Amino acid sequence: MLSLTYFPLSPPLTTTPTPTLSPPPPLLLRLHHRTVSRLLCSTAQNVAIDDVVGGRVEEDDVVRLPAGMRREAMPEHVAVIMDGNRRWARTRGLPAVAGYEAGLRALKGMVQLCCRWGIRVLTVFAFSSDNWLRPKVRFLTVRIRLSVNFVEVGFLMRLLERGMKGEVNNFMRDNIRFSCIGDPSKLPDPVKELITYAEERTKHNSGLQLIVAVSYSGKYDIVQACQSIALKVKDGVIEPEDINEFLIEQELQTNCAEIPNPDLLIRTSGELRVSNFLLWQLAYTELYFTRSHWPDFGETEFLMALRSFQQRQRRYGEGDS
Amino acid sequence: MMLCTNMVRLLGFVELRNFESIRVMDVGDEVQKVFCWTGQIGNLVLPILWHILHFVISTWYCAQYIAHVIESYFISSGLMKRYKSLNLDRLYLAVVVDSEEVHQTSKVIELLHWLSAIGVKNVCLYDAEGKGALVKLRVLKKSKEAILERLDVAKLSEGTIKNDPLLDQKHINLEFASYSDGKEAVAKSANLLFVKYYLGRDQKVPIFIESHITEALKTVGSGGPDPDLLLVYGPARCHLGFPAWRIRYTEIVHMGPLKSMKYGSLVKAMQKFTIVRQNYGK
Repeated sequence: MLSLTYFPLSPPLTTTPTPTLSPPPPLLLRLHHRTVSRLLCSTAQNVAIDDVVGGRVEEDDVVRLPAGMRREAMPEHVAVIMDGNRRWARTRGLPAVAGYEAGLRALKGMVQLCCRWGIRVLTVFAFSSDNWLRPKVRFLTVRIRLSVNFVEVGFLMRLLERGMKGEVNNFMRDNIRFSCIGDPSKLPDPVKELITYAEERTKHNSGLQLIVAVSYSGKYDIVQACQSIALKVKDGVIEPEDINEFLIEQELQTNCAEIPNPDLLIRTSGELRVSNFLLWQLAYTELYFTRSHWPDFGETEFLMALRSFQQRQRRYGEGDS
Repeated sequence: MMLCTNMVRLLGFVELRNFESIRVMDVGDEVQKVFCWTGQIGNLVLPILWHILHFVISTWYCAQYIAHVIESYFISSGLMKRYKSLNLDRLYLAVVVDSEEVHQTSKVIELLHWLSAIGVKNVCLYDAEGKGALVKLRVLKKSKEAILERLDVAKLSEGTIKNDPLLDQKHINLEFASYSDGKEAVAKSANLLFVKYYLGRDQKVPIFIESHITEALKTVGSGGPDPDLLLVYGPARCHLGFPAWRIRYTEIVHMGPLKSMKYGSLVKAMQKFTIVRQNYGK
């Protein structure tokens, strides 16, 4: 059950006149534009998603948390399965591409919120290796009534390429380190080159680490880790008897992050499965499933996920003792 | 005369300045008062509004809980038609029980009875002992005998479930899994694959694929079918290290603590599963 706490919006005001004019109490400013839902989920320390998308995240804003959020209980690594782009577009009578475009905007907002709230790692599932099997789709746009054939996967790749091109400078500006995991062998050459360029250029950034899973699957990650270990054993780097789960963990692709295992997994669009994403890494991850489609997942939904995470009891399988 | 005139002008100027400064101070005081009043009103009204809102939301959640209990009662009593006939013969169900609750053997047995009554044939029971408890006894495996003794419809399945049509329909196939069947088993499989595909060969390029790991897991005794549905009983909303290799497209449902499990909730979870449509990433 949701527990609510009242957070006073301003310190108590006294009737004693002050000798000089002081700035109006923040209460007045807040009352102008806060809605009831915002009152529930945030205070003036919050910044609406519209305020942060495309805007620079200032250094002194990083530590600001929404009211009621405990710094010590914030997840350090958040993973997201960005599901529901196509359904979001379908419900609005739009082509699937519009859903993906909206999904990209939602991701930008999410990245900025993570920067602002001091989350260290954000891993997003952009494209599953199973998605390569998606067939050619045929859609009919509502407005122009024109039937067009296109390869959806091709569009996703172009979107990825375009998104990467536009975002590298923003990553540098916001001190974001970009990493990509997955099987690069199937990706188009321009995308591969852009990924390498973005990773190289941002590798010294110390802020949020954004990991994008492209052509990725949890099983692929485990297989490549086992292959890597087998080669190391063959080369005499490690002994066969040293092969254990911790060694495998070190060879997983998420090991590019300081915190490889997510604390919180968010899956949008109401599905209750992990869909071959970070299978190994999710052993003790708190799972949060929400009905919102990914393009609708904004600040309020993210806050709800974080509140739910902070209310849960985490033991990492250790037991209470 | 000139001096007097200057004095009068000077006095007039001083008076005007005083008057202006008094006016400024008055305006300042007024503004300050407005702010104070507004603040006071705000601090009085907002808590009241907050408490009203709190009351409304609490009432809403309370009503939801009551509706849930009533629905659960109706489902249990068989009054709701759509929950009556669930075709779960082919369902492979995994049940994850938190390490704190797995000691409640009677509850686990009751749950298995319910599953059997609903029509579930294949169940994998996973105990929630994590990596911090590797040295501890596998609690659920230890209670295996007790469970099998008390559950007269249970039949132990070693590893995989055989779809034997001659299998007695009353029986429920039970598989017991623990943490060692997950990450530890993958490490063992990696060792096995190294010996099979690399040792003594001049192999430079990785050659094994997913299916090889699946086979290796079976060889080390930790293979098994992927569950269609995974029910988590416990306070934490995670699968507590259930063998990762087997939950690629498994539906995961958190059922709450084992001590407060309800037959109605179980049936509802099953019914919801039967209407899920998956496209497996395609």
